[in-house]
Parts: sequence; C-alpha cells; structure tokens
Amino acid sequence: MPAPAIELRGITKRYPGVVANRDVNLRVESGTAHAVIGENGAGKSTLMNILYGMVVPDEGEILVEGATIPMSSPADAIAAGIGMVHQHFKLADNLTVLENVILGDEPTGRVGRIDFEAARARIVELGDHYRIPIEPEALVADLSVGNRQRVEIIKVLYRGARVLILDEPTSVLVPQEVDELLKNLRRLTGDGLTVIFISHKLDEVLAVADEITVMRNARTVAHTRPAEITSRELAQLMVGSELPTPEPRTVEVRPEVGLRLRSVSTRGRGHETSLSDIDLTVRSGEIVGIAGVEGNGQAELIETILGLTDPVSGQVLFGEEDVTEAATSVRRRLGLAYIPQDRHREALLLDAALWENRILGHQMHPPINRGVWIDRKAAREDTERIVADSDVRTPSIEVLASALSGGNQQKLIVGREMAGDPRVLIAAHPTRGVDVGAQAAIWTRLSAVRRAGVAVLLVSADLEELIGISDRILVILRGRLVGEFDPAAIGPEDLGAAMTGADAA
Amino acid sequence: MIETRIERLLLQLIAPVVAIVFAALLAAAILHFTGADAGSVLGEVVAFGTTPASLVAVLNKATTFYLAGIAGAIGFRMLLFNIGIDGQYRLAVFFAAVVGASVSLPPVLHVTLIVVVAMAVGAGWAALAGYIKVTRGVSEVISTIMLNAVATGIIAYLLAPGRLAERVAGSNNIRTPPIPSSGWFPGFGVAGKEVFGFTLVAVALGIAFWILLNRTRFGFELRASGLSLRAAAVSGVNSKRMIFVTMVMSGGMAGLVGIPQLLGSSHQYGLDFPAGFGFTGLAIAILGRNHPLGVAFGALLWAWLERSSQILDLLGVSREIVTIMQATIVLSVVVAYEVVRRVNVRRQQKLVGRSEHEGIDNGAAA
Repeated sequence: MPAPAIELRGITKRYPGVVANRDVNLRVESGTAHAVIGENGAGKSTLMNILYGMVVPDEGEILVEGATIPMSSPADAIAAGIGMVHQHFKLADNLTVLENVILGDEPTGRVGRIDFEAARARIVELGDHYRIPIEPEALVADLSVGNRQRVEIIKVLYRGARVLILDEPTSVLVPQEVDELLKNLRRLTGDGLTVIFISHKLDEVLAVADEITVMRNARTVAHTRPAEITSRELAQLMVGSELPTPEPRTVEVRPEVGLRLRSVSTRGRGHETSLSDIDLTVRSGEIVGIAGVEGNGQAELIETILGLTDPVSGQVLFGEEDVTEAATSVRRRLGLAYIPQDRHREALLLDAALWENRILGHQMHPPINRGVWIDRKAAREDTERIVADSDVRTPSIEVLASALSGGNQQKLIVGREMAGDPRVLIAAHPTRGVDVGAQAAIWTRLSAVRRAGVAVLLVSADLEELIGISDRILVILRGRLVGEFDPAAIGPEDLGAAMTGADAA
Repeated sequence: MIETRIERLLLQLIAPVVAIVFAALLAAAILHFTGADAGSVLGEVVAFGTTPASLVAVLNKATTFYLAGIAGAIGFRMLLFNIGIDGQYRLAVFFAAVVGASVSLPPVLHVTLIVVVAMAVGAGWAALAGYIKVTRGVSEVISTIMLNAVATGIIAYLLAPGRLAERVAGSNNIRTPPIPSSGWFPGFGVAGKEVFGFTLVAVALGIAFWILLNRTRFGFELRASGLSLRAAAVSGVNSKRMIFVTMVMSGGMAGLVGIPQLLGSSHQYGLDFPAGFGFTGLAIAILGRNHPLGVAFGALLWAWLERSSQILDLLGVSREIVTIMQATIVLSVVVAYEVVRRVNVRRQQKLVGRSEHEGIDNGAAA
C-alpha cells in the first residue's frame, strides 16, 4: 500500500485558554476526495491552517507522501505540493484571470520581463487537462462566483499542487454551480490529485467524498466512508448527541396581517438593485421565505422594511399601521425585530459590554427605556436572563461582545431580538456560518416565534432551510418577486432554477 | 464581577501613566543632552508649580482647557472631529462680549444672557458644519477648519474702531467696550488669588455630560453611533440627526471656552484675547479618553505644565521643552491606549474561552 498523500499524527494546538486541536490524527490517501466535517469551533479551520503552514502546531508531525515535512509557512506547503482555496477568495478584481493566476509566481524571461505567453499557454493547458475551461483574458470583476472559484483552483494547480484544500467550497455557490464544482473535484481525484475539503453540507459530503473524517471538540472522533453511514448519523457524530427531531409543522397562520408591502419600488444607488413593484404579505404566525441569489434585491428589501431606505412609491404596513414614512426607531417601537446577516456590522457594538449590547435596538422600549433615561439595572438583569436562557457561554455580562465566539454572539442577538414580544421579525441568513447544533436551535427558535404569532420574513440562500421551515416561498430576481412556491411541493433543483431565472419563459 | 471592573479601571489608568512617565523621561534626556542638570531643573519646576499662586492659576487655566476638552470629547464620542472649536469659541466670546457690554441688566440675568449668547453663537457656527455634512456629505474636518478661518475674518472685520470695538488709549490694542460689573461672574479668593467662579459651572457641566452619556437614551445612542454607525442606525438611531445634534452640542460647549476669562477677569474681548485653545482641547480630549474625569485630569496636567514652564526661562532652559513633553504625551498615550485595548480584548477572550471550554467539557462529561 502506498504512503498516504497526507498524514497528520498527534497534532495539538493550544491558544491562550483554548485547545483548538487536541491529538488530531488524519490520514488522506492519494487520489481521494477527503471530507473534514464538524461543528463551528470543532477545530477544522485550525487543522487546515496547520496543513497549509499558516499555523504551527505545538505538538505532532505532518507527513507528506510518508516523509515528515517541517511546515512553518505557506511557502513550505506550496513547496510540498499543497495548495489552498480559501472560503473568501483572494483575487484582485481589477486584474485579469491570467494576472491573478501568476500573481506572486510570475514566469520571468530575460531581465525580469514577465513571460505572459508561457503563462497563458500553461493556464489553457491546465484548463483543458482538468476540463475547467477559463478565459485567461477575462477581468475577474466580471466573473460569476463559480468562475472565480475556478480561477482559485487553477491558481493552485498552476503552482504545481498535488493536494488541494478547499475551505467550505460550496457555501457561496448556487445549486447548479455546486454540481459543476463537484464534477470538477471528481475529475481532479480521477487524475490522481488529492482533495481535502471542509463542508457543513452533509449531502454533498456523502455525494462526493471517498472518505470522511469527523471532528468534534478539537478532536478527530470518527473516520468513515459514505457507503457506511447516513447523513443523520453523520450529523449525530458531529454534535455528539441525538439530534432534535424537527417538529411536525402545525400551521396556525392567523388571519391578521403582520407585515405588508404594497407595490413598493425603490431607486437603487450605485451597486444597489432597485426594487420594482414588490407586493408581499406576511401574516401573524407565518414564515415567508425569500429565496434568491445574493444581490437580487434582498438587501434593499430589508433596508426598506427597516426604514433605512425610502421607497419611491408604494406602502409599508405593520398590521394596519402605515409605516412608510416612519423612522426606524418608530418601527422598532412597533415591534420590529431583525437578525442580520452580518452581525458584526449591524447587530453588535463589538467594543461594548454584553449588557450594553442588550440595549441596542431596545433603547426606546420599556423596561430598558424610562422616558429620557436608560435603566441600566434592567438592562443588566435582562442580559443575565438571555445568557441563562439561551446558553450564551460567557464568564460575565461585563465582557466585550468582541470576546465571544460567533455562535455565542448569535445566541445573544437572537435572545435580544426576541425580548419585548416582537410583531415582525426579519431573519437574514440566520444560520449562515453556524454549525449544525446551533442551526437546529435557531430553527426551533424560529418555529417557536411563529407559534407565538410573529410574522417572520426569512431571507436565505440555503434552500434546505427555506423549504424546511417556510410556510410559503417567494423568489426574488433582479428586484422583482417572480414566483411563489409551496415548500411542500418544490424541490431544491426547481427552486434553484427559479432563483437563477432559468425557468422564466 | 467587581474584580473585572477594578481590573479594567487599572488597565485604563496604565496608559496615561506610562505616557507621562515616558514623556518625562524624554524631557529629562533632552535636558541632560543640552547640558542642563535635569534633577535641579525638575526640582525648581515642581517648587514653582506648587506655590499657591501657581495652583490658582492652574485651576483657572484648567477650567478653560476643560471646557475645550469636553467640546472635543462630545464630537469624538461619535467619531466627529470638531476641529472648529477654536473658531467657535472666539466668535462666541466676541459676540458675547459685544452683547454683554451693550445691555444693562440685573447681575444674574446679565451673566445668563452672556452665557446663552456664547453658547448660541458657538452652536450656530458648528451647526453650519453639521448641516453641510448631513446634507452634502462634506467632511466636518475640512469644513470646520475653513470655518475657523472665516471666523477669524469676521472678527477682524468687526473688531475695529467705528464698528463694534474701540481703540484702547495709549496702546495698540483694540477692544470691545467693557462689560459692566453686573455682567461679571464673581470668583472666590484662595490664598490671596481669585479662582474663576465659572470653574464650578465647568465641574457641573462635566457631571452633566457624564450623566447624559451614561444614563440617558440620547447618550446611549450617541455612544452607539460612535462605536458603529451602521449598527446604531439599524437599532433605530437617525444617524443624520445624531451627527447634526452632536455637532451643535459640541459647538455649544465650545462657545463657553472663552467665558471663564471673559466673565472672570478680562470683561472685554480684544486683540490680546487668547486663541488656540480649541486645539489644546482636542489634545486633552484624546489624553482623557473623552471621559469627563479623564478630561479633567488632562486639563489640569496641561495647565500645570504650561504654568510651571514659566520658570524655565529664568533657569536658562528653553521653554519649548514643555511643548515637546505635551506632544510626546499625546502621541504616546494614543499608542498606549491601543496597546491596552488589545491586551484587554485578549484577556477577555481568554476568560470567555475558558468558560466556553468548561461548558463543553461539562457537556461531554454529562
């Protein structure tokens, strides 16, 4: 049996107060696709960074093709034939594909002149060989997300990588692009290259991986093959306990309207998409999903409901109340809650204590607001309540929000937004980047919120999530609502087609 | 979590202490290399700086600095750089002097009128910068710098014999007419010297600023906007109104900067009225971390350094050594605050990491 492409033995990495990797063992056979899965904070990213030389482990050894390699920088990793495709692409938008690929590894001729011809030939050859067609002269700014990812892959191959690490490669793609990527990965492994990828999406893992390693609580806890396991069993291995069963959907949509938009149009500035003629009704006790590829007006829709963008025509109503002209603070007081996609930017004061973050968005509500005054005692008490109820792991409510991990920040935000009995909730990608355990908790929470009679608008790109918990799904495309679907009667493929406009006649 | 609070307070104090010690060492080194005896110079400076007359002068000067510092701090709290404090207070004190001299009113009313005029002029001048920022997106840094120059021009035009001022007999100075004594703010005598009565008002304003910032909805929204304008807007703060109101408040406070001197000693505005306090105020706000107590400390330190430096000429040492020291303090305190901030975040992450981990381990054991 040949030596494995990569072998990690007894890797341990400690950070102050936290062990990120504890005696981690990983064996990746040559020419296979190997999936590493685990909850957020399980240590996957640290492990990948160790493999790519960005983090040096405290203990343990790294073997490439059976030989121990000292790995202290990405340069060492590249020299050993290891390349990485990051979750957030590292491409220069204003350069061409060709320039991006050779950036940092330019083939130079005499007197340091860059030999573009040789580079172009190499890229075309790589593209043909692995059937990843790419136009070397295209400007990266003009490429779709899927094509950008191809550029990243070509870039790694160009540097002679035999082992590719992909960090959550499918999280940014629409279904059709995911299929394309998975096919490409198959071709790479078929050609003898080795692929290691991190993913949250268990179905993809089962579809494409030859072998699977599960991480939990900084350790590698299981090693298996897709044929030997179901996605439910995998999820349980990741979480380490029985999963909560999704409760049967008992639709109790009430007749009264929570949120209504009447032919709302906006004028987009700069890169914004203009909304045109949006008609939307969310009843109390209903979850309405908004499906769409990012950048099709979701952000503008949310801004309009929040009151941060004024529509040029149309009306926004909370219940019977016309709030089209109302300021954000008035809408907040009327019971508008918001779980944003970017919590650092929109939901937290990172340099303020947890209890001060509890005030944010509630500075106009009792019990925290008392006329012109802020009741700091009430804010502290209610923060203690949220910390206890939502299992926010923190030594104290006096610590800064920036000190918490992402999952705990999200728990705090959800707890805060649910305080004070909201009437309308906007949840934008509420489970993006959170692990399976927290995901289940958030879905349960949203269902509970619906039962309590809140009108929920769920904006998401996760089709499983949309189909799983929405009562109705609306598809947004280029600023228009182009279709309504019954989640019980539509599959991810059809929804994906509607999102990209592929089914439009 | 009392421990954490005390620890945090100590962490806050480390930065300015380190900065001052560093600046003092640097000053000593400069003295040493220029051939002076650093030890004896320091002794003389401290001896002069702690005489009762000096301390009263320091207190009076610090009052002025404090008002300028708070004016700067109000803006800084929401990431607005009110460079225009200088022009705002000069214009304010000029018009306050003109109005004060042209009316006769009973004492309390007269003083109140002068103060209100000063605040209104300062606020109005700053409001211009605030208005063009929220309507046209003009950076307040640029607009307030330009408004400083405009204020200088307006005062130069109006402060002329035959307009709003008169020539002082037997001198080149030009002044507004004196304010009658009903418009004076009585001081109180200490050690044969007079402390500005307005010092007490400044203290009260500092307390009011603290209460506003920490106990009111407006103060929370101000701080939230300073920490993250976007998060504040999403939470329901009208950012534009906030920017405008903050600018007006900062300008109103700036309008008071010249008032202790006007009401307490000079009683008229002339060519010799001190300028440049606005910039000192910004430095003091930075040193005091925009906190009412910190700014008070910074103002006292600044005033003490300026007062004590007066002895240096007599000792044959260049007085500019103090300017070097002040500059060093501000520069090094900025660095020190950032270092402390990072240490603090690291420390907290460690604490949180530990408690998260305990949670996980307990969960695994259960």
